[in-house]
Amino acid sequence: MQAELLTGADHSGRPRHPGLVDGAAGLLALFLLVAAIAPQFLAPGDPLAIHPLAAFQPPNLTHGFGTDESGRDIYTRVVHGTRYSLVIGFAATAIGLGLGVILGTLAGTLGRVVDFTVNRFLEVLFAFPGLLLALLFIVIFGPGVATATIAVGLSTAPGYARIIRAQLITVRSAAFVEAATVLGRTRWQILLRHILPNTLAPLFVLGTLGIGQAIVWAATLSYLGLGAAPPAAEWGAMLSAGRTYITSAWWMSFFPGLFIVLTAVTATVLGRSIDRRMRHL
Amino acid sequence: MPLRHPARTRRLLAATVGVVTFGLLMSACTATDSQEPVGDPNSGGTLTYASGDAEPSCLDPHVGGNFPQALVSAQYLESLVSRNTDGQIIPWLADSWTVSDDGLTWQFTLRDDVTFTDGTAFDAAAVQANIAHVQNPTTLSSTGYLALGKVTGTEALSPTVVRFTLSEPDSALLESLSQPWLAMESPAALERSQDENCASPVGTGPFIVQSWVKQNAIILVRNDDYVSPPADAGHSGPAYLDQVIWRFIPDSASRYAALQSGEVDVIDNAQPDTIVQATQSDSLEHLNSPRPGASNRIELNSGQAPFNDVRVREAFIRSANVDDAVSSLFQGTAIRSYSALSSVETTAISNANLFDYDPAAARKLLDAAGWTETDADGYRVKDGVRLSVRFPVSTNQSIPAEQSVFEQIQATAKETGFEVKLSPMDLSSWYAALASNDYDAVSAPYTKVGPDVLRILYHSDSIVPAPSGYFANHAQVNDPEIDELLTTAASTTDAALRTSLYADAQEHILEGFYILPLYDQQNHFLLRSDVVGLRTLPTVAVPTLYDAWLNR
Amino acid sequence: MRRTLGRITARLGGAVFVLWAVASVTFGALRLIPGDPAQAVLGGPGSQASPEALAAVNAEYGFGRPVLVQYFAQLGRLATGDLGRSYALNVDVGPLVLSQLGGTLLLAVLSLALAWLLALALATWSTRGGKIASRVGSSLEIVAAALPHFWFATSLIVVFSIWLGVLPPISTGGIAGLVLPVLTLAVPLAGFLGQIMRESLLIALESPFVLSARARGETERGVRWIHALRHASVPAISLSGWAFGSLISGAVVVETIFARPGLGRTLLTAVTLRDVPVVIGVVMIVAVAYILMTLLTDIASHLVDPRLRLT
Repeated sequence: MQAELLTGADHSGRPRHPGLVDGAAGLLALFLLVAAIAPQFLAPGDPLAIHPLAAFQPPNLTHGFGTDESGRDIYTRVVHGTRYSLVIGFAATAIGLGLGVILGTLAGTLGRVVDFTVNRFLEVLFAFPGLLLALLFIVIFGPGVATATIAVGLSTAPGYARIIRAQLITVRSAAFVEAATVLGRTRWQILLRHILPNTLAPLFVLGTLGIGQAIVWAATLSYLGLGAAPPAAEWGAMLSAGRTYITSAWWMSFFPGLFIVLTAVTATVLGRSIDRRMRHL
Repeated sequence: MPLRHPARTRRLLAATVGVVTFGLLMSACTATDSQEPVGDPNSGGTLTYASGDAEPSCLDPHVGGNFPQALVSAQYLESLVSRNTDGQIIPWLADSWTVSDDGLTWQFTLRDDVTFTDGTAFDAAAVQANIAHVQNPTTLSSTGYLALGKVTGTEALSPTVVRFTLSEPDSALLESLSQPWLAMESPAALERSQDENCASPVGTGPFIVQSWVKQNAIILVRNDDYVSPPADAGHSGPAYLDQVIWRFIPDSASRYAALQSGEVDVIDNAQPDTIVQATQSDSLEHLNSPRPGASNRIELNSGQAPFNDVRVREAFIRSANVDDAVSSLFQGTAIRSYSALSSVETTAISNANLFDYDPAAARKLLDAAGWTETDADGYRVKDGVRLSVRFPVSTNQSIPAEQSVFEQIQATAKETGFEVKLSPMDLSSWYAALASNDYDAVSAPYTKVGPDVLRILYHSDSIVPAPSGYFANHAQVNDPEIDELLTTAASTTDAALRTSLYADAQEHILEGFYILPLYDQQNHFLLRSDVVGLRTLPTVAVPTLYDAWLNR
Repeated sequence: MRRTLGRITARLGGAVFVLWAVASVTFGALRLIPGDPAQAVLGGPGSQASPEALAAVNAEYGFGRPVLVQYFAQLGRLATGDLGRSYALNVDVGPLVLSQLGGTLLLAVLSLALAWLLALALATWSTRGGKIASRVGSSLEIVAAALPHFWFATSLIVVFSIWLGVLPPISTGGIAGLVLPVLTLAVPLAGFLGQIMRESLLIALESPFVLSARARGETERGVRWIHALRHASVPAISLSGWAFGSLISGAVVVETIFARPGLGRTLLTAVTLRDVPVVIGVVMIVAVAYILMTLLTDIASHLVDPRLRLT
């Protein structure tokens, strides 16, 4: 039930045509992908090139998003920083989803004892504030993009596990599974052909929702000084650095923040849109 | 505004920076009388001070001994002597002093009219109790303990005369005694448990600690029986303010916002852009007071490759464009330093020629040192090893503008072929990196009154770690000539000789390219315009609220 | 009666297990952090402590003993309710954590309540208003859920404290000082809860029991408010347990920015200073609060929708 709610299941029964919002999201996604893979096409400058005497310039014709404290062009840095944030977002979500699928499946399929144990384990993980988990992990293993990614992934895994487990239990007792059992399919066949596909379908949307959250998490870790090393043009680090100058140079934190929000929104909208399309196939 | 004429804009920018700098310099030099005459001081009122430094774990500066403790304890504790803006030691709780010819005996004549706020008399016995407290290992004093390293004993010759006996002459004793970490507390109070004394130390100062709600605020109230301001204070008698609320706001943007909205009256650790805004505002004032001791500098680890070669050190220094970085990032609030010591030290030596930004010279030096090959990323290579500089950065100690200075140095050094690896870390991890020699460059502040700080930072004895793993000589300077100069300077009683010895030592240190000086230890305060009379003690540059009053 | 008793015992057992596991994981994790625990006791890293002082601390705190011995000693202390003494702050952890708990709980509860109100309002308005309202509501929720706490907090300070001057930028103890921190935590959560609620509201509106209510002649308004919302709240209620946990995480950032005393700030400082007893103390209190919160949400779910069993 929760998974359905998060996917925004369409209740009218009709297939929806791509709307304005979906189109915009698609374009934005394309922009972000190009920025991640080949940023030089969208921003040919060097994101690390400093121009101390051109520091703190507000947005103008030469620098569309303005310059930062070292005179670096913010537009170039935001574009080149897409790679870090997308990688962190995807990787952390993949880790979280992966762990969540494993845990949730274990809990939902292997009987009551395993279910009970895994449930307790999940509760323990839930009882830790996510940020503390990430903090401890990074303090033990050192700061950096890799540890931040793993830390965020670990913190989000329990949430996914719970949803997947709930979905699994719902699907397991559904009518078509009963029918398959009556028809004589083996347990494994039922699992692979009926239960799993229906359970994992909402994962796509869950994952896209999660990407935005993962990027925001990573930005918070950068704010606490535990993210990518300078001078990397990572959005969270830029946001954190820009915060110091928020009353005198608002553009330094506005644009990276804007892109974080836009990426999260794009991922969510696209995810729902694609999911709707897949349901009506 | 389109940049059609970049060159003209650059000049304009430079000129603006110059004008702003000049303006700020003028306001800094006359900080205490930049306000127009406002009439007679009002008695009364509550002042709220918000500190950006960490909340101390103990209000007694004998325990441990760091700057946050000094900031607040200066309001309720006083030392035997103080220092004026000319760098001379002036009387405070001690009226006068003499030293024997061999330098091993010091005699202090104390004021006879001072009482601690719990009624105990301030006398020679009290001084003895305090020295004993600091030197007692269970007190866990670090700063005070080190400062009294040569003191072997004390003797009360009369209620107002106390004698210090030393194992060796100590030319820095008076400077050490002027610091808050050796301030005088009531012997009766010292007898209490450490927890009790940490929560409310008892002193002779203009304010008394009334209460301390941890993670919230410290409340100080006026000491109505106060009689002992230092010789350079603005008035005598009790303080003007009724009450002081001392808060801790770690986030710099919130701290400034609180000042702007009037929630707090004074803040410290002001960031450069807020200082510029404040100087343009009618309701805020700026007080600039660089800390004594060392300047803010980058120390190059000469104890291991690649900086064990002086040519590579010099190459690094010449490939770093610090001037542009400092002027653009600090927007005129910080002046470039070319000295190992703070500009408030009268014994400081400066040599700008050694620190010119000269990438061509840097490249020649690297060639001469054998770093002739370049790899695909543009970094120099020698015997298959890349020219890498590990630079751990403490986010607790380096403000964002300073971290950006390091980033800019990283960028300009890259053009010469240095790979600078900046690693921002929290304090514990940073100390761990230093203790395990896992660094090639580091910037660590050190606040101390007087040039004796050079001995602590550059004598080869300071490479040996304390049991905690801490050591102060991060540049790992191991030069017998420098050692000799510093040891002799530490024990000479002749002031002129001392100054010239320290000058020699500084020349050696600068010419050895062990350090890259940046600027003074920044210590900027912003206050509301109706706060009058605030000044900093010329000892460790902590603010004193004794002469302050509220014009409202 | 016996079934209820059995269920309560099972829950208690589960709770004790969670607390034990949390304590063990924290203890293990903190042991893995590089650094000498004696450092933290002696006034933090970089202290120039003497060898006698270090030896004294090691003897008193038993840092030299084998790890398992220290572990069981810690468990033993926790079982008797003794949370130990903070290394860095030199106070008993129990009173310290309890004194900080109030501030954070207040923040969390108020934020959760405001998030609920905002989410309910937005969900109801957007389902009632037709397609455009639905799209706008959906977009607002998505954007809200994507706001990073620290960026949103600073933006609020800039707008309300600096430009408009109507609210204080830091918390000085009054109600006015609570507004911005609560908003910072509530809005992103409202975005998330609102998305859940709107979807479940749409599903509920098409459910049989709602149709039959309409058939009985109840007004449109009556249908919506009483039946549909009740059913629709269930997933949001169960997610509130998780939301509470995420609010504690958010509190770390919010308390730092607004200089509010609270568990979040205490925790961050303790991790930085390697102050093991305080970290364990905070984690235990949060775990207890989380368990209680889960119990509350389960009861609330059961009250709202009796079809659900108490698991």
